Formats: sequence, C-alpha cells, structure tokens
Amino acid sequence: MKLALLALKNLVRHRLRSLLTTLGVSAGMFLYASVQTMQHSLAVATEAGAADTTLVVYRENRFCPATSRLPEHYLSVIEGIPGVRQAIPIQIAVNNCGASLDVITFRGVPPETLRAYNPEINVVEGTYEDFLNQSDGALVGQHFARRRGLSPGDTFEAVGVNVTVAGIIASDSPQDENVAYVHLPFLQQASRVGLGVVTQFNVKVERAELLQPVAEKIDETFAADQQPTHTRPEKAFFAETAKQMIELISFTRWLGLGAVAAVLGLVANAVLLIVRGRVRETAILQTLGYSRWAIGWMVVIEGGLLGLVGGIIGVLGATAFFHFKSFTLGNEGLTLALSPSLPVTLSGLAVAVTLGLVASLYPAWKATSRPLVQSLNA
Amino acid sequence: MTPFISIQSVTKIFQKGQSLIKPLEDLSLDVPQGEFLSLMGPSGSGKTTLLNLIAGIDRPNSGKIIIDKREVSGLSRAELTRWRARHVGYIFQLYHLVPILSAYENVELPLLLGKLGKAERQERILAALDLVGLADRADHRPAELSGGQEQRVAIARAIVHDPGLLVADEPTGDLDRESADGILKLLGSLADDHGKTIVMVTHDPRAAAAAHRSLHLEKGRFVESPTGHSVSASPSR
Ligand SMILES: Nc1ncnc2c1ncn2[C@@H]1O[C@H](COP(=O)(O)OP(=O)(O)OP(=O)(O)O)[C@@H](O)[C@H]1O
Ligand SMILES: [Mg+2]
Repeated sequence: MKLALLALKNLVRHRLRSLLTTLGVSAGMFLYASVQTMQHSLAVATEAGAADTTLVVYRENRFCPATSRLPEHYLSVIEGIPGVRQAIPIQIAVNNCGASLDVITFRGVPPETLRAYNPEINVVEGTYEDFLNQSDGALVGQHFARRRGLSPGDTFEAVGVNVTVAGIIASDSPQDENVAYVHLPFLQQASRVGLGVVTQFNVKVERAELLQPVAEKIDETFAADQQPTHTRPEKAFFAETAKQMIELISFTRWLGLGAVAAVLGLVANAVLLIVRGRVRETAILQTLGYSRWAIGWMVVIEGGLLGLVGGIIGVLGATAFFHFKSFTLGNEGLTLALSPSLPVTLSGLAVAVTLGLVASLYPAWKATSRPLVQSLNA
Repeated sequence: MTPFISIQSVTKIFQKGQSLIKPLEDLSLDVPQGEFLSLMGPSGSGKTTLLNLIAGIDRPNSGKIIIDKREVSGLSRAELTRWRARHVGYIFQLYHLVPILSAYENVELPLLLGKLGKAERQERILAALDLVGLADRADHRPAELSGGQEQRVAIARAIVHDPGLLVADEPTGDLDRESADGILKLLGSLADDHGKTIVMVTHDPRAAAAAHRSLHLEKGRFVESPTGHSVSASPSR
C-alpha cells in the first residue's frame, strides 16, 4: 500500500511523461473497446436475432430487399401448407442496400397481423391502437427512435416515405430495435413497388424438425411460378445475408489485437525508460533496505496505474462514443446496432490494467537485476 | 568488551573481464561502539569497497564481518537487505535524495519499510529534521535546497529509523568549508550524544581531524599515514 503510494507519486510528479503515456494507452484502449463493441453487438445480433422455428421465404437468387419481389397472394398458399403455424408478408425498404453506418429500414406489414405474429413486441410509448388507426402510422424501434430523436406524434421522412410515429417499441429481438414497422399497403404505395408486392414472407412452423420439409415444400410449390422462391431458416438467412458484415467485423479483430500490442509496447517502453532513468534512485532505495521485490512491485504498480488510467479514459470514452452516436451498421437490409455494453466496458478496463501490469514485468525485472554496487556507481 | 564492528581477515575480489582486482586483502579492523572513525587514502585504495562491506551492501569473498554481534558476512542478499533497513544509515557524497520527493518524504523512505503508523512516522521524521536543523524545510524539494541542506536531509534520512551504525562516503566532498564544518559537527554529535558508531570515508584532512580516530588505507591495507596518524587498533579517545 505504501509502495503503491510511492509509485503513484512517481507518476504524478512526472506529470507530462505520465500524461503522454496515458494518452497513448487511452487511444489504444479506445480502439480495442470499439472493436469489442462491434464484436459483441454482432454476437448479440446473430445469436439472439433468429428464432429457431422461423423460415424466411425470399425471391430465388435475390439478395437485396430492393430486388426480392414476391406476390403477396402467396400468403394464402403458404398458410395452407401443413406444418405452417403462422405467416406474415413483409415489404422491406432500406435507404441503402450496401454497407452503411446509418441504415434505415422500413418493414411494411399487415398491421393487425403484426401483433399476433410478433407478440414479443412491446409498445413502450404511444399505443398499438394509434398504429392501427393511422394509415401512415409507424411503430419505431427504441434504438432507431433514439438515433433520430423521435417520439410519438412526430413525423419523419426516409427513403422518400413520410410517416407519423404512432409508438415506440421494445423487443428482445435486436432487429426490431432498429426498424420502423409501417402498414404494408402504405409502404407498397409510398415506395412505388406497387400494391400486392412484398419482399419476403416470414413463416413460423410448428416444430423445429419441420423447418426443412416445410421450406422444401414451399420452394417446390412456387418452383414453376413466375417468381420462384428460396426458403431458409431465419438463422441461415441471417448468416448468409450478414456474411459480408460478419467478415468485415471479424477482420476488426486484428485491429483489436493490434491495439493490444500497441498498448503493451507503449507501456513497456515507457516503464523501461522510467526504470532506466532511475537506476541510481533504485540503488539508493535498495541501500536504504528496499528489497528487490519491493522495487519490482513499485515498477509493476506504476505500469498497472498507467494501464488503468489510460483504460478508464479510452474504454469509457468508447462506451460514451457508442452510446451517444448510436451507430447502426447495415448490409442488405439486415441491421446491426453498435451499442455499448457493461461486459465490454468492464472487460476493457480489466484488459487495460492487465496490459499495464504485464508490460512492466520485464522492466521490473530489469530494475532489480542490476547489482547494487554497480548501480551506486552509475 | 566486544567491538561494535569487527572485521576479520576480509578479502574482496572484483572480476573485471579477464583480470581480477583485489581492492581489499586480508584486512582486519575493530571499531568500538560510539566511535567516529575516518578512513583516508588515495583514490582506488578500496575505501568505498570497505564501507560497502561494513554497510552490508556488498559481501566479502573471504573473512568475517561482525556488526553488533551479528555476522553479516554470512547473511544472504535478501537477509542483508532486511538487516540494512533496520541497522544501517548510509550517507553519500552526492546526497542522493530522491528529486521528486520533498525533504519530508525523503526522510520517510526508510520508515515506509517498517510497521509504524502515519502519526508515529511524522513524529520521527520531524524529530530527525529538527536534529539536523531543517524542521522548517520539510516541504522543500531537493532542488530547492543548498548542498549543505541536502546533505543534512540525507543525514536525517540515515538516522530516522534509529540505526546503530552510520556510514558516510565523503559526506563533505561536495560542500564548501562552512557547510562541511556543520556536517562534521553534526556527525560528531551523533556519535558523542546519540551513541552512533560512524565510519566516514574522506579525502579532507580537516574532516579526518573531526573524527575520533583516522585510518589510512593504501592498496587495500592499512598503513602508517603520511600525516602521522597512528594505525592503532584501539580508539584514541
Ligand atoms: N563493482 C566493481 N567492479 C569492479 N571493480 C571495482 C568495483 N568497485 C570498485 N572496483 C575497483 O576496486 C578498487 C577500489 O575501489 P574503491 O571504490 O573502493 O576505491 P576508493 O578508495 O573508494 O576510491 P575513491 O577515493 O576514488 O572513491 C578500484 O580499483 C576500483 O576500480
Ligand atoms: Mg570511493
């Protein structure tokens, strides 16, 4: 404890040097925490986002909501297939089909069907009734609402569509947090795809074992049609449409690793320089009776403190950044909200301290391994 | 009466590349408790080496060093470190205060190793600073003190944990005459009034004259000093 205080004094009284090192550490940790936030958000989105008994019916060989077009009347056929519990037609309109940081997704659905099909949707502001009664009404996901600063009664325009916010919704499904649900006919007209055309059908089957046979049956049914279908379990659909996004985000792993290496090198270098500049001082302390352990501890504590302070600035900075900026990454109609999370913040701090401690192990050993008599003459 | 410091046939060998240097060879010396002893001799004669052995900073290759009835030459490095923390005060020529710490904090350093509480530490530190006449400079950093004052702080640091043995390597070597006289007077009173045993290395005959006894080292052995000081084994007081 007394040693920690001495280490702290050492850092505080070499203010500029400590500040510069801390700055570097916080930059590295900011990057690291950002990467972790992306990874974590992706994990949440892909693991929790897909129901186990849901199929997605898409137009064959189409990969973007703008090009997948299916006749709405397929619905009654699909509902008639044995094993199908429920189905909902969805028209999807996105402002940007490629990769983007500010994706806006409209989901046009038959308003009465939505509640029955998707009971986990919880209207936290406004009412469901308002949504039913307003043909231009929208149920807006919380994350989306926060990003746009929307509350019930507001109107907003996106993708050339003007809607009125009827309610704000919360849901366990991360996808729902980023979309605006609107009336299907309204969206069909507003986005000029035309009445009777939808992007996809979401189909719930009775049991997970039925996913495969029902999917095959659906595709078989429409195979000879003008608009053949391709039906996949929702998980597979996500995995495939989000492939580029997943690859992109997986790649950032290396950035995170690079940030870790940079922090490690930075702290190690800083502490090594500190130790080098203190050879005589260290020898004096040893002469006074400070053991090699005590000296080593002080060095390690200094490294740990540099890591901690840099980590607090960098990691909390990244947390605040993602909290206030509310980025939504999107690709081919699938959206991914980049949101900070407590586990990421805490693990980031732990990583920062650990890096500080680990980085100063070698300098600590350096500081204590020099023969005392030699250091005194230095 | 057993002497406070007893050095028996001590040899110290340094290895420098291929060649061996033997700064001390078969050296013996007794110092009674409370004596203020000065060591003189030309550069490279082994004074610092001997002082480091007495202070437990280094260990001899052969021979015995007994201090206050404890054979320190038989202690391990770690044991020596603990022993130093309690029994030795070291005073350097260049003071060697920690520059980022105040006078008070510098003097506190040896006490941080013990179990004393903050209040007890404060009492001791202020007493030590008072003894060296710098109670009013407790908050000053070394850079804000004169050389003589720095050396006084260093002496306060060397005595704050109340060791029986003080070793000083040319403590006045970097000071003007007036400051040097003050330091020597202080060391003298630490021996006379506080019973400290002091071994001081010096090049300055005036400093040597302030000690109770003065020994002359040359090529690792005690010799009859050119200035006529005796090499008696018994104290001259
Ligand atoms: N760590 C060491 N390694 C190798 N040789 C050393 C070491 N320390 C001292 N020596 C050698 O031992 C001899 C005695 O050195 P010492 O420092 O004891 O001399 P000194 O009497 O204190 O000299 P000065 O008056 O210049 O301080 C010198 O030749 C010195 O080079
Ligand atoms: Mg010397």
